Amino acid sequence: MFGLPIETNILVFGVPIFWIIYTFVFLFLSRKWPEEFNDKDHS
Amino acid sequence: MNTTVIFFLVLYYLIVLGIGYWALRNGGSDDLEGYLLGGRKIGPATTALTLQTTSMSGFMFLGAGSLGYLQGYWALWFAAGDVGGGVLNFSVIGRRMRKLSQLLGALTAIEYLEKRYPSTTLRIISGSLTIFLLGFYVLAQFIAGGKGMALVTGIPYPVALAIAVSIIVLYTFMGGYLAVAYTDFFQSLIMLVGVLWIFIAILYELGGFSSANNMIHALDPSLLSVWGKGMGFEGQWGVVAGAIMIFSVGYLGWPHVVTRHMAMKCPSTARKAGAWATLWNLFFVPTPYLIGIFTILIIPDISDPEMAIFQVAGKLLPAAATGLVMAAIMAAIMSTADSLLLQTGTIAARDLYERFVNPKASERQMVMVSRGLVMVIACVGYFIALVEPPSVFNVVIFATSVLGSAFLPAYVCAVWWKKANTPGALASIIVGASTAFLWEFLEITSLTTIAPMVAGVFSSTLTMILVSLLTQKNYPVPSGILKLMEESAKIRPIPKNTIPDSKSTLSNEAIEIENFLRSE
Repeated sequence: MFGLPIETNILVFGVPIFWIIYTFVFLFLSRKWPEEFNDKDHS
Repeated sequence: MNTTVIFFLVLYYLIVLGIGYWALRNGGSDDLEGYLLGGRKIGPATTALTLQTTSMSGFMFLGAGSLGYLQGYWALWFAAGDVGGGVLNFSVIGRRMRKLSQLLGALTAIEYLEKRYPSTTLRIISGSLTIFLLGFYVLAQFIAGGKGMALVTGIPYPVALAIAVSIIVLYTFMGGYLAVAYTDFFQSLIMLVGVLWIFIAILYELGGFSSANNMIHALDPSLLSVWGKGMGFEGQWGVVAGAIMIFSVGYLGWPHVVTRHMAMKCPSTARKAGAWATLWNLFFVPTPYLIGIFTILIIPDISDPEMAIFQVAGKLLPAAATGLVMAAIMAAIMSTADSLLLQTGTIAARDLYERFVNPKASERQMVMVSRGLVMVIACVGYFIALVEPPSVFNVVIFATSVLGSAFLPAYVCAVWWKKANTPGALASIIVGASTAFLWEFLEITSLTTIAPMVAGVFSSTLTMILVSLLTQKNYPVPSGILKLMEESAKIRPIPKNTIPDSKSTLSNEAIEIENFLRSE
């Protein structure tokens, strides 16, 4: 693909895809963080 | 001298100064917390982009381009870690560090370490080490600015270097974290437009991405491999691991970067900031390396490969665009240099001078110490850059490797490991910094094919674990700190009764500054 060897394709395109997935997983796991503002017992 | 390029550069400086001035007039210097951390009110996009631009520096336009030009696609190993460096930082320590730093009443990254691992020795060593390494890092920015300006404007290098150093120092004296953060935000956009413009122009010139790769293949197929020119790095996974780590987990140990967490509007700001960081990195990070690779086809005989991006921009783009690209390069340099110098001055004044030398220092003395050190770094940096300028790539890799090796376990364990105690942190910092330094200095990488960053982080992490466990009985983590760590882990606002009275946590001198700033 794109005139590159397979391992270079993985480095150029696969690694960024990994970080995109990592970011979505982080957003999913941290989905309750904004709720800290909804806690009425604390300032 | 190209007047169009000069026009764009001057316009860029005026805009940056205007933003900085606006930030200063809008709460950037209301009090000490406002001056050092922007009043802890920075939103996710600005937090993400100031963290990224501070991390990237002139390296991305000189070092990255040079590496791509010399080694082909092997250079992308550095980008592989760098793309995720921001989100890794925000996801691992962002929220907890923001909360714990406020609970501890810490205003600088070094002060935070001292309060988490109570020890004056730790503060002296950490402060001194950071000043030394950030001074080195600033040197790279001076060289980058001088070289770039000399090439684009035609001014002799010594004069161009003097101009670049003067602009960076004057800009830093404007001071204040809020000004730095907002100008970084603007500069991140300029940097992105700059690199994408050059990259698109290159692809247009070479007939597209696949066509460019085919031409590289015809020239030297090894440049398309992940092992470098002539397969020189084949099987060297220790070197590859270092390349990935230095700009990913390495960020977690850079004091001038983790300060960004402390300045966030609230702990949960880290969530959206992580997403912003990834979005910006996806477009920005790999591009300078790719530009360097394809410049081989356009200008095959560059004597100084660090000038690859400058030269290809000058060859392919119209003068106005070259001016914008030059502004982007200066943006990368200045956005890092101002943060480094602000941090260096702050550490010298607050973490060393006020804390240990003159506890009753006045505001004027504090500012003089801070600015005095900045001037010393500027003068020393100027002469080193003038007499025998090292490569930007080498300087940045050295400084960031040692910084990351020294402080990574200390910052990560500060929020995640309750057994991480003072002897563990102190030993970890010393062993990590020494290992990475000696590895680099004695060129052990060529013997072992293991990068200094890998050796440094491994040794500092192991030291933190072993020493903390062995000394746990005699040096337990104080119960008050354990409670604050537990609170920082909880997803809820900081309870009012746990917020320290800022006055009690600040020394007399800091209060004096605070009062002075309030009276202004």
